[in-house]
Amino acid sequence: MLEKERMISIFKTMNNIRKFEEKAYQLFEQNKLRGSVHLCIGQEAIPATVCSLLRDEDYITSTHRGHGHCIAKGAELGKAMAELMGKATGYCKGRGGSMHIADLTKGNLGANAIVGGGLPIAVGGALAAKLKGTDQVAVSFFGEGASNEGTFHEAINLASVWKLPVIFICENNLYGISCHASESTSVVDIGTSRASGYNIPGYSADGNDVLTINDLVEKAIARAKAGEGPTLIELKTYRWLGHWTGDPQVYRSKEEVEEWKQKCPIKRFKEYLINNQVLTSAECDEIETDALNQVEAATKFALESPEPDPATVMEDVFCEN
Amino acid sequence: MATRVIMPKQGLQMTEGTITKWLIAEGEKVELEQPLFEMETDKLNIEIVSSASGTLLKIIRGVGETVPITEIIAVIGEPGEELAEFISQEGPADSPKVSEAVERETDTKPAETEAPKAQRNEGERVFITPRAKTLAEDKVLNYHNLEGTGPEGLILERDVLGYVEQVSALPKASPLAAKVARQNEVELSEVSGSGARGKIMKADVEAAVEARKSKAAAGSRSGKVIPFAGMRQVISDRMMQSLHGMAQANHRMKVDMSEVIRFREKLKSSSIKVSFTDILVKVVSKALLDFPIVNSSLTEQGILLKDYVNMGLAVAVNNGLIVPVIKDADLMSLEEISAVAAELIDKAKKGGLKPDDYSGGTFTITNLGMFEIDEFTAIINPPESAILAVGKIDRIPVVEGENIVIRPVMMLSLTYDHRVIDGAPAAQFLQRVKQIMLNPYLLI
Amino acid sequence: MSIKTYAMAIRDVIAEEMRKDQTVFIMGEDIAKQGGIFGCTKGLLDEFGGERVRITPISEAGFVGAGIGAACAGMRPIVELMYMDFTYVAMDQLLNQAAKIRYMFGGKATIPMVVRGQQGVGRGNAGQHSQCVEQFFLHIPGMKVIMPSSPADAAGLLRTAIRDNNPVMFFEHKALYATKGEVSDDPEFAIPFGKANVLKEGKDVTIIGTHLYVGKAMNVAKTLAAEGIDVEVIDPRTLVPMDTETMLNSVKKTGRAVVVHEAHKIGGAGAEIASMLTEGAFKYLDAPVARLGAKQCTLPFNLGLENAVVPQEEDIIKAVKSVLYQSQN
Repeated sequence: MLEKERMISIFKTMNNIRKFEEKAYQLFEQNKLRGSVHLCIGQEAIPATVCSLLRDEDYITSTHRGHGHCIAKGAELGKAMAELMGKATGYCKGRGGSMHIADLTKGNLGANAIVGGGLPIAVGGALAAKLKGTDQVAVSFFGEGASNEGTFHEAINLASVWKLPVIFICENNLYGISCHASESTSVVDIGTSRASGYNIPGYSADGNDVLTINDLVEKAIARAKAGEGPTLIELKTYRWLGHWTGDPQVYRSKEEVEEWKQKCPIKRFKEYLINNQVLTSAECDEIETDALNQVEAATKFALESPEPDPATVMEDVFCEN
Repeated sequence: MATRVIMPKQGLQMTEGTITKWLIAEGEKVELEQPLFEMETDKLNIEIVSSASGTLLKIIRGVGETVPITEIIAVIGEPGEELAEFISQEGPADSPKVSEAVERETDTKPAETEAPKAQRNEGERVFITPRAKTLAEDKVLNYHNLEGTGPEGLILERDVLGYVEQVSALPKASPLAAKVARQNEVELSEVSGSGARGKIMKADVEAAVEARKSKAAAGSRSGKVIPFAGMRQVISDRMMQSLHGMAQANHRMKVDMSEVIRFREKLKSSSIKVSFTDILVKVVSKALLDFPIVNSSLTEQGILLKDYVNMGLAVAVNNGLIVPVIKDADLMSLEEISAVAAELIDKAKKGGLKPDDYSGGTFTITNLGMFEIDEFTAIINPPESAILAVGKIDRIPVVEGENIVIRPVMMLSLTYDHRVIDGAPAAQFLQRVKQIMLNPYLLI
Repeated sequence: MSIKTYAMAIRDVIAEEMRKDQTVFIMGEDIAKQGGIFGCTKGLLDEFGGERVRITPISEAGFVGAGIGAACAGMRPIVELMYMDFTYVAMDQLLNQAAKIRYMFGGKATIPMVVRGQQGVGRGNAGQHSQCVEQFFLHIPGMKVIMPSSPADAAGLLRTAIRDNNPVMFFEHKALYATKGEVSDDPEFAIPFGKANVLKEGKDVTIIGTHLYVGKAMNVAKTLAAEGIDVEVIDPRTLVPMDTETMLNSVKKTGRAVVVHEAHKIGGAGAEIASMLTEGAFKYLDAPVARLGAKQCTLPFNLGLENAVVPQEEDIIKAVKSVLYQSQN
């Protein structure tokens, strides 16, 4: 069993993520967001659990579906929402948008819009840790689609050869936009099947269960800190919404979606917490309400924030000192 | 070695010419005697051919510019030759002591352009867009004084277009005509031109002034004043200078032309057609060799006696006078003289003489016989020292022995520079001329 | 003639060519059931089946490379890249393989492959999904570079691309997919490569633009006509091969040129076009050739910032007036 505080923290984070994502969806429908957002509703257990095991100085890289990872890694909801709206107060001063939220003070080396783009970068963070002689670790979040990109092969091989403290977390939510994993990926269990190709341990497990995730990641972190190298952990999960807001989801049935909604990670963990007297039902509701309020406050902050000044558009191309 | 192309003197009284068209573009190759440019004076519209082969390295004076004679207007040479010395020289070419010093008109601007004149220093670089430059070169315009309306005075296409438009919009007029028009407040657009291509000549403006005056001053008998300016002034000044510069005296001698006439007839029956003038050229050339003092020039170094005769023939052309020169007349046969003279006269009348054709003369013959003039006193054509004027051949009574007979007689009138030639040698020269004319067999 | 959207014009040509020629097939991400995320392959799975309308994993280097191999082996693959920004993921296959194989093999290999996809701003996709990348393929020899700006051009040029025996980079634009226009129904309708389109004749200045800037140039021409400025608008359509003659003749006539595109100004296709115009029409120029392109910074997510980066119609108007040495009011 996990430490009580940590479990409560995980539960809070999951709720924050859920409410944030739901709010983002609403805002999209109200045409308040530019472009589109890629929401991770249904996948909250993974970011919340993994990041609860990390410190600020540990690194993560994330994906286009990265709000959860960023929030779990300590992002302020207000600044995150402001970035979604492209405001000057956002994490990236409105220049990156949803897919590029980063906060290096919290070890977030950035969400990446290129599939597979984050794996080598996480490896870089781990390499720095090794060179500096610290006990920092790096976590690379990516989807099953990315496991078919060349960078997957190169990054994992490299981390393995150099015995770098990386944990490769593959969130297999079964779909790369419209493409089912069975159509794109040569194996069903990426974790167990592909790791041996790199001489590292690999696991395929339930990504909607906090405890399972915690177990595997703890082990992986220990291995990493011991200097033994990377681990590949595939976590099976499901996104409830389309690939991006506005996706008509012609590629899957409503029944399948409903089926997975029943396996909601928040609901499962809530039950666990209540059953194990970690929290009461009322406390859980309170946490949920609190999450809602925080998100509302964040949204208000973001809506009231100013647009970035076009005169600043050429700033930060290069570092000037 | 690069060659200067100068504004050539085209007529006895010509002091300046206006370039009307460059026929070769800067940078283009040109052959000797290939038509190079066209120019006009108040009297003449002439095509000038090149006196050298090579590349037209630089056009120094452009279309519309009025240039005093002998001033440099272009340079022909080989690409890469140094041009600076040519461009800086503004003075006349090394031909002499043109003691009929060229009177410069104060109005030396091209005809009637109101184009903005840029205030540019000597040698200051002119910036012009490639398109504008191409256009200017195409129209053979010298853009160096054009004002540019682009940034920092950059000359733009529209600046060149504007200038071209202005120049072409105005009726073409000779510089003198323009000046006369200005002085008399005559609108050029209301004057019809009688010159080449409808060009308005001074006479046209004067006629317009007349017409206006006669309309206005109905019945007044105060006489009229016509302008004494421009070419008239130039001629006046030059004549005075010629006369003031030399001590001109004149001899007259009658010549019985019977033998010459017979001589000429004989030649005609052998299908050799020569004119009296041709014969005169032959005769005088021969006589000059016997009296080189009459065939001389006074220079700073002294009296230059020439051992060759380049015979100038005054030819009346449209509203003017030109003196083509038969080179080495003394070495030519009568037939050759006749052929060359005919060619030159024809060219002169068509305005096709080259600079070479009317320069380098050593003596001039002028004939007003066709106008029924019996005799007249010509004024010497510097730097020559004498000129022979002849009148018509008239059948008059003369005394032979104790009888009075009718003979064809022509009057020779020699004007000579008494600084160089005294009366006796001048007279002897005339005697020699007469002697040969009385006995043409002496030509052999 | 039919009125079609740019996307449908593309889809119809793909379908027609696949019907005519069994060796033509298409592969890419989400092109099957989804019909492509911009609808360019809508309905094709139903008509041609999953072998010839082939969904791929997210493996750009992998499936571009596969396209190359298939082409060498006698097929005529159309490879769809979801975003042309992803050419970077497949750059070795594109520029080191597809572009060079024929040449390095002494002319022995033929690669009749079309790599098509969309690029540019317009959907708030931020820096890595909004780039214009045609200039990389202009620079490295070996691939043809096509940029249709209208439904008719998309249809005509795509047919030529599919029938071309060389690797063709076919650049569509995300903001053009929904635009409508007349397209010929002739199943042989094709526009040859290397033939620029003079959309409007004029005598004062030439504007050369690609993709969205064709339409913007026409707008500018209309605006400036009211001020007495007569603009000529040219769409090069294809950068490789490039119709230099049409552009040169135009600039020789007008004496002034403004070249505008969405890609960054420095090193963009406009730099090549401007140099070419200066070399070929130097003495006809009344002003230096003006170039417009995105500023040298990553494309920002925020719309206001993005608009400050890519050229706007006012920028084009300013450039036109500057080459005319007119004041900006």
